[in-house]
Amino acid sequence: MREQGRGDRLTALLRRGPLLAVLVLYTLYTTLPFLWVGAMSLRTTAEISADHYGLPSPAHWGKFRAAWVDSNFAGYFWNSTVVVVSAVAIVTVLGAMAAHALARYRFPGNRLIYFVLFSSIIFPPQIVLLSLFQILVNYDLYNTRTGLVLVYVSLQLPLTVFILEAFFARIPQDLFEAARIDGYTDFQIFLRIVVPVGMPAIVTTVILNFVHLWNEYLFAVVLVSDEDLRTLPVGIQRFMGDYFQDIGMIATGVMIAVIPVIVVYAFFSEKLIQGMTAGAVK
Amino acid sequence: MSAPADAARLPAAAAPRRWWPAARRGERDPGAPSWLTLMAFLAPALLLYAGLTAYPVVRTFADSLYDLENMDAPRFVGLAHFVAIWSDETFLRAIRNTLVWSFVAPFLDVATGLLLALCLYAGVPFARFLRIAWFTPVLLSYVVVSILWLWIYNYDWGALNLALRALGLDGWARAWLGESSTALAALMVTHAWKWAGFNMVVCLAALHALPSEVLEAAELDHCGWAAKLRHIIIPMMRPTLLNLYILAFIGKMKVFDLVWIMTQGGPMWSTETVSTYVYKRAFAWNTFDLGYPSAIAVVWFIIVLAAAAVLHLAFRQREKLEY
Repeated sequence: MREQGRGDRLTALLRRGPLLAVLVLYTLYTTLPFLWVGAMSLRTTAEISADHYGLPSPAHWGKFRAAWVDSNFAGYFWNSTVVVVSAVAIVTVLGAMAAHALARYRFPGNRLIYFVLFSSIIFPPQIVLLSLFQILVNYDLYNTRTGLVLVYVSLQLPLTVFILEAFFARIPQDLFEAARIDGYTDFQIFLRIVVPVGMPAIVTTVILNFVHLWNEYLFAVVLVSDEDLRTLPVGIQRFMGDYFQDIGMIATGVMIAVIPVIVVYAFFSEKLIQGMTAGAVK
Repeated sequence: MSAPADAARLPAAAAPRRWWPAARRGERDPGAPSWLTLMAFLAPALLLYAGLTAYPVVRTFADSLYDLENMDAPRFVGLAHFVAIWSDETFLRAIRNTLVWSFVAPFLDVATGLLLALCLYAGVPFARFLRIAWFTPVLLSYVVVSILWLWIYNYDWGALNLALRALGLDGWARAWLGESSTALAALMVTHAWKWAGFNMVVCLAALHALPSEVLEAAELDHCGWAAKLRHIIIPMMRPTLLNLYILAFIGKMKVFDLVWIMTQGGPMWSTETVSTYVYKRAFAWNTFDLGYPSAIAVVWFIIVLAAAAVLHLAFRQREKLEY
């Protein structure tokens, strides 16, 4: 009996062999590049040139301090934080209000506004990029954080309204009628019913917008040229352009950009996955 | 107070199942709101949209008719830019590259995503952990992904060439981004690496939503995995797969960061995309004329919208025939 049981297990293992191989290989494929850069971020460029795949011993933790202070990554990090946090806050408020109006009130042009906003999701960025550059120059917003924040809000607004409208429209009508009988005004209904009930969807859009904007590169590179105002993606890319050979330091810069995302992901992985796939998953 | 709790139990991201607008819903507030209330809710978003999206689009259309070398003194040139575009070899090359990328690469993305989802669906150890690990690249910026893959593709010490040499395939090792025959494919692989996790999560959600009776019935009929996949799973997941294809398609029509950082459109225009070419003509070549790139942007805008509309209609047509 025991012989046979072992044989069965072996067959099962053999049958699952290809499956397990795929799993292992793909996991290595997604994670090894990270571990590689992580190792390089703790080694000096001289060590890396000697052996690109060595382990970080001794680990040069001081490189993070050097990148943070000497290479101005602290500045890039601060700029990214200010711009992204402001833009996400504004787009959440504006988007939620607009989504509520579109989901709840019947008025002429409702579906037209919805359709126009919705179509903008697929606009290629170039159709607004060149004129936004001119507009920001005309209004002295070129090369300012304010200008970038406003543009970021406009970029994420359609998707935010789209996701929130879908959720808000499913809030049962009874809730609103009950609130109205209790004497709630339109604004109280929005603040005390729509916002709390719609919180899961609002959190989803906050995550989605945050990740999109934290990683945004094209508009940041076109609309901001001042070294002191650069966001993290542009900062890293410029750093790589200037010190192409300094692989060790570039790796440290990459890790500075990646670590916050990974830390947040480690704690809120389900929420992040759900946020990033909102609109695509049923 | 039980009502709000009830509503809070709505599916978390209750986004619609399609990316195009849903049909009118019946449930709307019958009490017509005052115009003032409505404006208070809508005006901020609409003003911002008008100023920073609608107006720029119109302005790009207008700009495409001018020579803007001197921004203070635009010179009207009519449709001259549009005529010039069609004999601009680089632009035609860029269009071809982008269309190839947009139509072909989504198959790679969606197929990888489906395969990975099936692996997890088959019930493997650590499925939860694997799902989270595989999704990680989706969260990274293109700048980070580009730098990683620049190094992986490095001729002398890149991981890919190193692996090939270790396998004794020295002849296959090459400067993947430096040769025009492989550069575009190399970029497609990088793009797929970033997005496979996204497709995997969406496919997995769709798999779990399949009615289990059908799969069990197939099991009873001794239906093998391949047959089950071909005759049951893929047909039933068709809406999801088409949806993912369209999303991937649109994403690739816009692609800029990856190309700009990894190859800047080279070598010999082999990875030039419309986005990078517009950027070059507008900001990198010191031609200082925003009119010509605006004309390209207009043409591209129309192509993207038309392609999205055609795909949408074609897929909807097929679905009607299917069911």
